[in-house]
Amino acid sequence: MIRVAVKESQLTRMLVFSLLLHVTMFVVIGRFGYFMLSHQPATQAYYVDVVNLPVANPQSGNPSPSIENAPAKQAPIRQEMSRPASDTASTVSPKAAPSVKKEQMPAETNEEFAKRLAALEKKAEGRRLGEALDDLRRRSAEAGRAGMPGAKGKEAGSDYGSYIQSRLRDAFNSTIAYQSRNPEVVIKLRINRFGKVIGYRMERSSRDKLFEAAVARAIDIAEENFPPPPAGGDFEQGFIFRPEGVGKK
Amino acid sequence: MKKIASFLIVILLIPVLLRAEQNYLEVIAQGSKQLPLAIAPAISLGGGQDGEIAGTVGEVLKFDLTLAGPFSVISGTSGAGQSGIRPGEFDMAPWRAIGAAYLIKSGYIASGGTITVEFRLYDVARGKALAAKRYTGSRKEMRRMAHSFSDETMLAVTGEKGPFTGRIAFVSRASGNKEISVMDYDGHNVQRLTRNRSINLNPDISPDAGQIIFTSYKRGNPDLYRTPISGGSVARISSRIGMNFTGAWSPDGNKIALSMSKDGNPEIYKIGTDGKLLARLTKNDAIDISPSWSPDGSKIAFVSDRLGSPQIFIMNADGSGVHRLTRSGTYNVNPSWSPKGDRILYSRLHPGGFQIHSISPDGSDDTQLTTQGRNENPRWSPDGRFITFGSNRGGKEAIYVMRADGSSQIKVSRSGGGDSQPVWSSRR
Repeated sequence: MIRVAVKESQLTRMLVFSLLLHVTMFVVIGRFGYFMLSHQPATQAYYVDVVNLPVANPQSGNPSPSIENAPAKQAPIRQEMSRPASDTASTVSPKAAPSVKKEQMPAETNEEFAKRLAALEKKAEGRRLGEALDDLRRRSAEAGRAGMPGAKGKEAGSDYGSYIQSRLRDAFNSTIAYQSRNPEVVIKLRINRFGKVIGYRMERSSRDKLFEAAVARAIDIAEENFPPPPAGGDFEQGFIFRPEGVGKK
Repeated sequence: MKKIASFLIVILLIPVLLRAEQNYLEVIAQGSKQLPLAIAPAISLGGGQDGEIAGTVGEVLKFDLTLAGPFSVISGTSGAGQSGIRPGEFDMAPWRAIGAAYLIKSGYIASGGTITVEFRLYDVARGKALAAKRYTGSRKEMRRMAHSFSDETMLAVTGEKGPFTGRIAFVSRASGNKEISVMDYDGHNVQRLTRNRSINLNPDISPDAGQIIFTSYKRGNPDLYRTPISGGSVARISSRIGMNFTGAWSPDGNKIALSMSKDGNPEIYKIGTDGKLLARLTKNDAIDISPSWSPDGSKIAFVSDRLGSPQIFIMNADGSGVHRLTRSGTYNVNPSWSPKGDRILYSRLHPGGFQIHSISPDGSDDTQLTTQGRNENPRWSPDGRFITFGSNRGGKEAIYVMRADGSSQIKVSRSGGGDSQPVWSSRR
């Protein structure tokens, strides 16, 4: 009997432990969304301009600049549309072609007239399309933020951190030097609201002075191209500097 | 219960830590670039111009720092101003414009036989002074002053001093006999230490760069001698029957490992610096020679033909734990353990002659460093960044220097030939 009681006691403890473990795992999974991968909707495919990546002030939204960052809005040009004036130059609006008004138009043949008409039609069509596009841009800028369609502002090259990363990478390419086998430096970089580096904290040293000096020089060089953070305040981001081919430790 | 709680905490923390790591952005770049270093011509800081000082200082700095590795030296001023060497006395912008990352400015004052040379190293991008030194001495110490500032430059940029004030002891046949001589690492200022018109071999320099031991036949028997590196009295420290040769100072400078054949065949022994026998380290019928200490003094690499042909072996400093290091090549000799402990140099016999190899102490990563001519007796610089060795690639035996990876091989001997068995001293 005693042996049975002992066994039951052990079993109970094991069950409690198992329960705790399972609950913990579910909490962990639920909290950090490990199962979310399988339920995520298929990501919409989009194209990224690899030549001009990344943008300086990226935001999610539509592929047009946001209002605040868009160039000063220009009033739509209200030009009189040229009409296919089959009659004479006198029908052309004086505003649209004042110089024409004073000239004595020579008599033209039917063929010349047809050519002129086609050119005017083409010009008018181009203008119409341009106005429509401007209107679309204006409306979309008023409606939402700039960026990739459907993006959340977290995509590669689409946020301020990635922009800073890209500038650092360019500068680091010109300064990199090291003397140890696998140097790696981890820093936290702080940028103020004007885009100037307030400072950086080295969280992991490589113990390679040459490499760390190269990182410092890269930050100095890159800083010249840092725009102010879009959120307005200070910006802090961690970066890991390492030579190509050196894997994660 | 505490264990369970700890376990749960660890499990809860793992994703947090993983997520934290994911938030760091990687900045990766290719290769290792050389840093553009500009050396401005030395200027007079008082008194008259002295072309010899300006020329010598510039030449030494350029030679040292070109060999060093991290730098690509920019010569000339490229229109940069010459006025002053101290911060604020000159404009940094022209140096920045020519792409210099670092700048060395120097100035001198010559007064009779005494000269004062002042050097300053700047980080051009930041406009910051990194090092400044002033040296005063006789005119013949001019080269040493410049070598010393090269060492300081290496310290400021890489965190570790250069070896350029170290000297190289070697066997010279300039007199027709094999005598021990010393020279600056770049081949200048040669001084003969022995003049016994005999055969003098296998020099080794004490860790404090004060003494040299060598084997000499001057009394008929190959005995071990010791003499100050600056020259002076020569003391015989081991004259046991048979050979007393290939002596090597221990890293603490208190012991010498050498090969002696007093008991029949050459075996490795440990003696005090006064010659007192401390221990016999090998005992077999084979030839055991050329000991080389690990930097912590716990192990010794040596050559033994116990398996039929000469190979490099490693043993503990008390003679225990012998194991074979080299497993390729039929004839491997001259081991030299790096000051950092991570590599061992040796000479391997190839069909065309000896070539220098570098291998890890665990026997992996065996790399051939030389290919041209016959190359042997490699020894490390005191900082482990360079290697000196003897080579006949130019037709005559001479001393060469190269970087630890085998790059930038350059002849430093300035004699007509017959220089061999170099050993690089620590900094003075």
